[in-house]
Amino acid sequence: MTDGEIRELCNRFFDAYQDRRIDALAEIYAPDCSVWHNVFGRETTGAENLAALPKSYEGQRRRSYDDRTINTFEGGFVIQYTLAGVQHNGHRGALWICIVGLCRDGKITRIDEYMDSSKFAAWAGAGRKGREA
Amino acid sequence: MRMTDRELRELCTCYFDAIERRDVDAVAELYAPGFSFWVNLTGAESSREQNLVTLREGYALLRRRCYDDRRIETFETGFVARYSVNVVQHNGKRASLQACIVAQCKDGRITHIDEYLDSSKFRRPPAGES
Repeated sequence: MTDGEIRELCNRFFDAYQDRRIDALAEIYAPDCSVWHNVFGRETTGAENLAALPKSYEGQRRRSYDDRTINTFEGGFVIQYTLAGVQHNGHRGALWICIVGLCRDGKITRIDEYMDSSKFAAWAGAGRKGREA
Repeated sequence: MRMTDRELRELCTCYFDAIERRDVDAVAELYAPGFSFWVNLTGAESSREQNLVTLREGYALLRRRCYDDRRIETFETGFVARYSVNVVQHNGKRASLQACIVAQCKDGRITHIDEYLDSSKFRRPPAGES
Protein backbone atom coordinates (compact mmCIF):
# COMPACT_ATOMS: atom_id res chain seq x y z
CA MET A 1 0.00 0.00 0.00
CA THR A 2 1.21 3.53 -0.75
CA ASP A 3 1.65 6.30 1.79
CA GLY A 4 -1.53 7.92 0.47
CA GLU A 5 -3.54 4.70 0.69
CA ILE A 6 -2.41 4.02 4.24
CA ARG A 7 -3.21 7.58 5.37
CA GLU A 8 -6.63 7.41 3.73
CA LEU A 9 -7.32 4.06 5.43
CA CYS A 10 -6.23 5.46 8.80
CA ASN A 11 -8.52 8.48 8.47
CA ARG A 12 -11.44 6.32 7.30
CA PHE A 13 -10.93 4.13 10.35
CA PHE A 14 -11.05 7.05 12.80
CA ASP A 15 -13.92 8.76 10.98
CA ALA A 16 -15.93 5.53 11.19
CA TYR A 17 -15.11 5.13 14.88
CA GLN A 18 -16.17 8.73 15.51
CA ASP A 19 -19.40 8.39 13.54
CA ARG A 20 -20.23 5.06 15.23
CA ARG A 21 -20.27 3.33 11.86
CA ILE A 22 -19.68 -0.25 12.98
CA ASP A 23 -20.60 -1.50 9.51
CA ALA A 24 -17.84 0.65 8.00
CA LEU A 25 -15.36 -0.57 10.62
CA ALA A 26 -16.20 -4.16 9.77
CA GLU A 27 -15.21 -3.39 6.19
CA ILE A 28 -11.93 -1.86 7.31
CA TYR A 29 -10.83 -4.73 9.55
CA ALA A 30 -9.22 -7.68 7.76
CA PRO A 31 -10.85 -11.04 8.61
CA ASP A 32 -7.84 -11.95 10.76
CA CYS A 33 -7.54 -8.55 12.41
CA SER A 34 -6.37 -8.48 16.04
CA VAL A 35 -6.56 -5.62 18.52
CA TRP A 36 -4.20 -5.27 21.50
CA HIS A 37 -4.33 -2.72 24.32
CA ASN A 38 -1.47 -1.85 26.68
CA VAL A 39 -3.99 -1.23 29.47
CA PHE A 40 -5.39 -4.76 29.45
CA GLY A 41 -2.32 -6.50 28.04
CA ARG A 42 -4.42 -8.84 25.97
CA GLU A 43 -5.40 -9.34 22.37
CA THR A 44 -8.92 -9.54 20.99
CA THR A 45 -10.14 -10.32 17.51
CA GLY A 46 -11.55 -7.65 15.25
CA ALA A 47 -14.99 -9.25 15.62
CA GLU A 48 -14.75 -9.10 19.43
CA ASN A 49 -13.70 -5.48 19.21
CA LEU A 50 -16.70 -4.60 17.03
CA ALA A 51 -19.10 -6.54 19.27
CA ALA A 52 -18.01 -4.45 22.26
CA LEU A 53 -18.53 -1.12 20.51
CA PRO A 54 -22.31 -0.57 20.93
CA LYS A 55 -22.03 -0.79 24.73
CA SER A 56 -18.88 1.31 24.66
CA TYR A 57 -20.65 4.04 22.68
CA GLU A 58 -23.47 4.16 25.24
CA GLY A 59 -21.07 5.75 27.72
CA GLN A 60 -20.76 9.08 25.92
CA ARG A 61 -22.95 11.54 24.09
CA ARG A 62 -20.18 12.18 21.61
CA ARG A 63 -16.59 11.20 20.88
CA SER A 64 -14.22 12.81 18.46
CA TYR A 65 -10.73 11.79 17.42
CA ASP A 66 -8.87 15.06 17.12
CA ASP A 67 -5.36 16.38 16.56
CA ARG A 68 -4.48 13.40 14.41
CA THR A 69 -0.78 13.14 13.63
CA ILE A 70 -0.21 10.32 11.18
CA ASN A 71 3.09 8.86 10.03
CA THR A 72 3.23 5.90 7.68
CA PHE A 73 5.81 3.15 7.35
CA GLU A 74 6.03 0.12 5.14
CA GLY A 75 2.98 -1.94 6.01
CA GLY A 76 1.28 0.40 8.42
CA PHE A 77 0.89 3.66 10.30
CA VAL A 78 1.37 5.26 13.68
CA ILE A 79 -1.21 7.80 14.73
CA GLN A 80 -1.12 10.09 17.75
CA TYR A 81 -4.40 11.74 18.65
CA THR A 82 -6.65 13.24 21.28
CA LEU A 83 -9.82 11.33 22.12
CA ALA A 84 -12.29 14.03 23.15
CA GLY A 85 -15.47 12.83 24.82
CA VAL A 86 -18.69 14.49 25.94
CA GLN A 87 -20.45 12.48 28.63
CA HIS A 88 -24.23 12.39 28.96
CA ASN A 89 -24.04 14.89 31.82
CA GLY A 90 -22.10 17.29 29.62
CA HIS A 91 -18.70 16.61 31.18
CA ARG A 92 -15.90 16.93 28.68
CA GLY A 93 -12.67 14.99 28.87
CA ALA A 94 -9.71 14.12 26.71
CA LEU A 95 -7.22 11.26 26.48
CA TRP A 96 -3.91 11.20 24.61
CA ILE A 97 -3.55 7.97 22.70
CA CYS A 98 -1.17 6.39 20.22
CA ILE A 99 -2.05 3.55 17.88
CA VAL A 100 0.22 1.50 15.66
CA GLY A 101 -1.77 -0.06 12.84
CA LEU A 102 -0.59 -2.76 10.46
CA CYS A 103 -2.25 -2.86 7.04
CA ARG A 104 -2.52 -5.21 4.07
CA ASP A 105 -4.54 -5.07 0.86
CA GLY A 106 -6.48 -1.98 1.92
CA LYS A 107 -7.47 -3.31 5.34
CA ILE A 108 -6.17 -3.16 8.91
CA THR A 109 -4.72 -6.44 10.15
CA ARG A 110 -3.55 -5.40 13.62
CA ILE A 111 -3.92 -2.54 16.09
CA ASP A 112 -1.73 -1.87 19.12
CA GLU A 113 -3.18 0.86 21.33
CA TYR A 114 -1.24 2.76 24.01
CA MET A 115 -2.90 4.99 26.61
CA ASP A 116 -2.82 5.83 30.32
CA SER A 117 -5.66 4.22 32.26
CA SER A 118 -5.15 6.57 35.22
CA LYS A 119 -6.82 9.25 33.07
CA PHE A 120 -10.03 7.25 32.60
CA ALA A 121 -11.82 8.59 35.71
CA ALA A 122 -11.14 12.22 34.82
CA TRP A 123 -12.12 11.55 31.21
CA ALA A 124 -15.46 10.08 32.28
CA GLY A 125 -16.02 12.74 34.91
CA ALA A 126 -16.36 10.10 37.62
CA GLY A 127 -18.13 11.44 40.66
CA ARG A 128 -19.29 14.59 38.88
CA LYS A 129 -22.88 15.60 38.38
CA GLY A 130 -24.25 18.19 36.03
CA ARG A 131 -22.62 20.17 33.27
CA GLU A 132 -19.01 21.22 33.42
CA ALA A 133 -18.14 24.81 32.72
CA MET B 1 19.45 15.49 4.71
CA ARG B 2 16.87 12.77 5.23
CA MET B 3 18.01 9.89 7.43
CA THR B 4 17.76 6.41 5.97
CA ASP B 5 15.74 3.54 7.41
CA ARG B 6 18.95 1.92 8.65
CA GLU B 7 20.23 5.13 10.26
CA LEU B 8 16.93 5.65 12.06
CA ARG B 9 16.88 2.07 13.32
CA GLU B 10 20.47 2.34 14.54
CA LEU B 11 19.70 5.62 16.31
CA CYS B 12 16.68 4.05 18.01
CA THR B 13 18.68 1.01 19.14
CA CYS B 14 21.57 3.17 20.39
CA TYR B 15 19.07 5.23 22.38
CA PHE B 16 17.51 2.28 24.20
CA ASP B 17 20.89 0.60 24.72
CA ALA B 18 22.29 3.78 26.29
CA ILE B 19 19.33 4.18 28.64
CA GLU B 20 19.53 0.52 29.59
CA ARG B 21 23.23 0.67 30.54
CA ARG B 22 22.66 3.98 32.38
CA ASP B 23 24.96 5.91 30.06
CA VAL B 24 23.35 9.34 30.34
CA ASP B 25 26.30 10.98 28.55
CA ALA B 26 25.61 8.77 25.53
CA VAL B 27 21.90 9.63 25.68
CA ALA B 28 22.82 13.33 25.76
CA GLU B 29 24.87 12.86 22.60
CA LEU B 30 21.82 11.38 20.84
CA TYR B 31 19.58 14.32 21.74
CA ALA B 32 19.65 17.35 19.44
CA PRO B 33 20.31 20.67 21.22
CA GLY B 34 16.66 21.70 21.01
CA PHE B 35 15.36 18.27 22.04
CA SER B 36 12.00 18.09 23.82
CA PHE B 37 10.22 15.20 25.54
CA TRP B 38 6.46 14.79 26.00
CA VAL B 39 4.72 12.04 27.94
CA ASN B 40 1.03 11.14 27.99
CA LEU B 41 1.06 10.82 31.79
CA THR B 42 1.35 14.56 32.34
CA GLY B 43 0.75 16.09 28.93
CA ALA B 44 3.74 18.30 29.69
CA GLU B 45 6.83 18.80 27.59
CA SER B 46 10.28 18.84 29.16
CA SER B 47 13.58 20.09 27.78
CA ARG B 48 16.72 18.12 26.95
CA GLU B 49 18.32 19.07 30.28
CA GLN B 50 15.20 18.29 32.29
CA ASN B 51 14.89 14.88 30.66
CA LEU B 52 18.52 14.01 31.36
CA VAL B 53 18.07 14.95 35.04
CA THR B 54 14.94 12.78 35.20
CA LEU B 55 16.88 9.87 33.70
CA ARG B 56 19.72 10.19 36.24
CA GLU B 57 17.30 10.43 39.16
CA GLY B 58 15.24 7.51 37.87
CA TYR B 59 18.20 5.14 37.95
CA ALA B 60 18.47 5.46 41.74
CA LEU B 61 14.96 4.05 42.12
CA LEU B 62 15.67 0.70 40.46
CA ARG B 63 18.29 -2.03 40.50
CA ARG B 64 17.87 -2.77 36.81
CA ARG B 65 15.78 -1.61 33.87
CA CYS B 66 15.64 -3.42 30.50
CA TYR B 67 14.00 -2.41 27.24
CA ASP B 68 12.97 -5.67 25.65
CA ASP B 69 10.84 -6.91 22.74
CA ARG B 70 11.69 -3.82 20.70
CA ARG B 71 9.63 -3.49 17.55
CA ILE B 72 10.87 -0.57 15.50
CA GLU B 73 9.22 0.98 12.46
CA THR B 74 10.69 3.95 10.65
CA PHE B 75 8.97 6.73 8.74
CA GLU B 76 10.24 9.71 6.79
CA THR B 77 11.23 11.84 9.78
CA GLY B 78 11.65 9.38 12.61
CA PHE B 79 10.63 6.11 14.20
CA VAL B 80 8.05 4.45 16.38
CA ALA B 81 9.25 1.85 18.88
CA ARG B 82 7.00 -0.51 20.82
CA TYR B 83 8.71 -2.25 23.71
CA SER B 84 8.48 -3.83 27.15
CA VAL B 85 10.11 -2.13 30.11
CA ASN B 86 11.18 -4.79 32.60
CA VAL B 87 12.45 -3.51 35.92
CA VAL B 88 13.92 -5.06 39.04
CA GLN B 89 13.38 -3.01 42.18
CA HIS B 90 15.91 -2.81 45.03
CA ASN B 91 13.82 -5.27 47.02
CA GLY B 92 14.04 -7.77 44.16
CA LYS B 93 10.48 -7.38 42.96
CA ARG B 94 9.97 -7.31 39.25
CA ALA B 95 7.55 -5.23 37.23
CA SER B 96 6.80 -4.89 33.55
CA LEU B 97 4.89 -2.53 31.31
CA GLN B 98 4.32 -2.07 27.62
CA ALA B 99 5.15 1.32 26.16
CA CYS B 100 5.55 3.11 22.88
CA ILE B 101 7.56 6.12 21.78
CA VAL B 102 7.27 8.15 18.61
CA ALA B 103 10.51 10.00 17.86
CA GLN B 104 11.34 12.76 15.41
CA CYS B 105 14.92 12.74 14.17
CA LYS B 106 17.21 15.00 12.19
CA ASP B 107 20.89 14.86 11.18
CA GLY B 108 21.58 11.74 13.21
CA ARG B 109 19.96 12.94 16.42
CA ILE B 110 16.58 12.80 18.12
CA THR B 111 14.77 16.14 18.18
CA HIS B 112 11.54 15.13 19.95
CA ILE B 113 10.02 12.13 21.72
CA ASP B 114 6.37 11.44 22.53
CA GLU B 115 6.03 8.62 25.06
CA TYR B 116 2.84 6.64 25.71
CA LEU B 117 2.47 4.30 28.67
CA ASP B 118 0.02 3.21 31.34
CA SER B 119 0.95 4.59 34.77
CA SER B 120 -1.30 2.07 36.55
CA LYS B 121 1.32 -0.58 35.72
CA PHE B 122 4.02 1.12 37.80
CA ARG B 123 2.87 -0.35 41.09
CA ARG B 124 1.42 -3.61 39.87
CA PRO B 125 3.61 -6.74 40.06
CA PRO B 126 3.43 -9.15 37.11
CA ALA B 127 1.05 -12.11 37.35
CA GLY B 128 2.28 -14.83 39.69
CA GLU B 129 4.29 -12.49 41.91
CA SER B 130 3.31 -11.07 45.26
